[in-house]
Amino acid sequence: MPDVDDPGPDRHAVGMPRALWNGAISFGLVNIPVKLFPAVSSKTVRFNQIDRVTGTRVRMKRVAEGDDGEREVPHTEIVKGYEVSPGSWVTIESAELEALDPKASRSVDISAFVDLDQIDPVFFANAYQVAPAPGAAKAYMLLVEAMEEANKVGIARFVMRSKQYLAAIRPKDGRLLMSTMYYADEIVEPVLPEYHELDGVEVTDKEREMAAQLIANLATDFEAEEHTDTYREKVLELIDEKAAGRTIVRADTPEETSVVDLMAALEASVAEAKAARAESRKSA
Amino acid sequence: MTVDGRVIRLRNLEKVLYPEAHFTKGEVVAYYAKVADVMLPHLAGRPLTMHRFPDGVEAGSFFEKNIPAHAPDWIDSVRLGRTTHAVLGERAGIVWAATMAALELHVPMGTAAAPDVPTSVVFDLDPGPGVDVVGCARLALDIRALLEHVGLECWAKTSGSKGMQVYLPLNSDVTYDDTTPFAHGVAKLLEKQQPDFVTSVMARNQRHGKVFVDWSQNTTHKTTVCVYSLRPRARPTVSTPLTWEEVAAAVGAGDAERLSFEAGDVLDRVEQLGDLFGPVLTTEQALPEFGA
Repeated sequence: MPDVDDPGPDRHAVGMPRALWNGAISFGLVNIPVKLFPAVSSKTVRFNQIDRVTGTRVRMKRVAEGDDGEREVPHTEIVKGYEVSPGSWVTIESAELEALDPKASRSVDISAFVDLDQIDPVFFANAYQVAPAPGAAKAYMLLVEAMEEANKVGIARFVMRSKQYLAAIRPKDGRLLMSTMYYADEIVEPVLPEYHELDGVEVTDKEREMAAQLIANLATDFEAEEHTDTYREKVLELIDEKAAGRTIVRADTPEETSVVDLMAALEASVAEAKAARAESRKSA
Repeated sequence: MTVDGRVIRLRNLEKVLYPEAHFTKGEVVAYYAKVADVMLPHLAGRPLTMHRFPDGVEAGSFFEKNIPAHAPDWIDSVRLGRTTHAVLGERAGIVWAATMAALELHVPMGTAAAPDVPTSVVFDLDPGPGVDVVGCARLALDIRALLEHVGLECWAKTSGSKGMQVYLPLNSDVTYDDTTPFAHGVAKLLEKQQPDFVTSVMARNQRHGKVFVDWSQNTTHKTTVCVYSLRPRARPTVSTPLTWEEVAAAVGAGDAERLSFEAGDVLDRVEQLGDLFGPVLTTEQALPEFGA
């Protein structure tokens, strides 16, 4: 799987979502072909960057350091580099990484089944829907039912985009859901001086009682739908207002450029070409 | 065969030059004889380069810049540097070239009389992998818009192969010293405006998904395929002049088929539309004068 991240404008897939990963869940002798789909989609309001002066879009350009900045580096020419010492890299192709453990990159290996409440939420990273691949429905359903019966969560490893993940697979509403997890050594517990203040603090029974009462007053069942992103709603309102009133920036079509600007741009470009020509003649 | 009083020897007319389309040498000669009326003004008086395919488009070919020793004595020639080019001056010359399986006829922007004076600026739009002739057409419209902004009119033709060419007729007092940097400047500006879609450099590895604006044909020793010339593709496609309405319609429809014409289509078009490229020979324009 190519490890490229290109958040272009036409990134919003239409219709069926695309599987992020194809492979199989395996444990013991069982092998269940599955596909992974994102289980969440973050809804942050996305802004484009606009040049205040021209009112047109700011374009990011991938250029190679030390190059003249004219040449955009195509995705196909981008290779992973690991900095072994300042200014010196070893480059690694995706295929080389995949070759390290070809089996791991195609299977989710469940090594243990544990109780869900033994896993602290701090370990959970991203959530994925696990869908059965064609022909795997029965084996998939069997696993779901067996896990529901045992009330256990499968702990697995798999490789996606050249990273090995620890993951928890659990049944939910008759389907499998997988959460990638952080490794224990990725959880940080820094020694914070702020915590020293806590040493020797004493709380009276009365205070403890009051706090408990306060909590009891707010105690309720967790209803996910009740919690919405109120900040995003305000941002969208602001955008609607501005769009309805006056559009403050122009579209980024070249046609918008005025005749005078275009003439000047052409003149500059021709001058540049002339200079390059003179230069090459001198050196020829 | 006699063309305008010139006797031309015909041989192997049944030889198939385009196997997939079963298009014979006889048909090639017939096409050129018929299209010669409108093609001649675009070739006449210019140093000719012939691209010959003696055994058809699927076999070997060679560029013949020097006039063949056996050329009839009524074919003129001009010496440019170390090369003595044929110079055609009448319809019979085109037929003569066709009988030698010179499927492609190329000429420079300059003439035999004034090799350093280009009569047009040409932008050769060459699609990289992942782009087709419709992409070239879109860019041709951009070039037209850009030139229109600076008060210049231009004309478009298909290359007959994968791309297109835009001609900016000058027919005025200029030299390549004026037109080369102008063409290069336009190409660089287009590249700057649409860096993801346009490149002004020849390097193959920079052309994926882009159209290469080849500005370098605006020089004495380079040639461009002549309008109405056949091309050595699977079918007998022709470098065909277009109206801007056709270019825009093809872009609107995203339909590459609308920009591909074979010999028969072209003869029909000439009958109905005349020589759409005629104005390229007569329109007098001056390049914009930029500051000092």
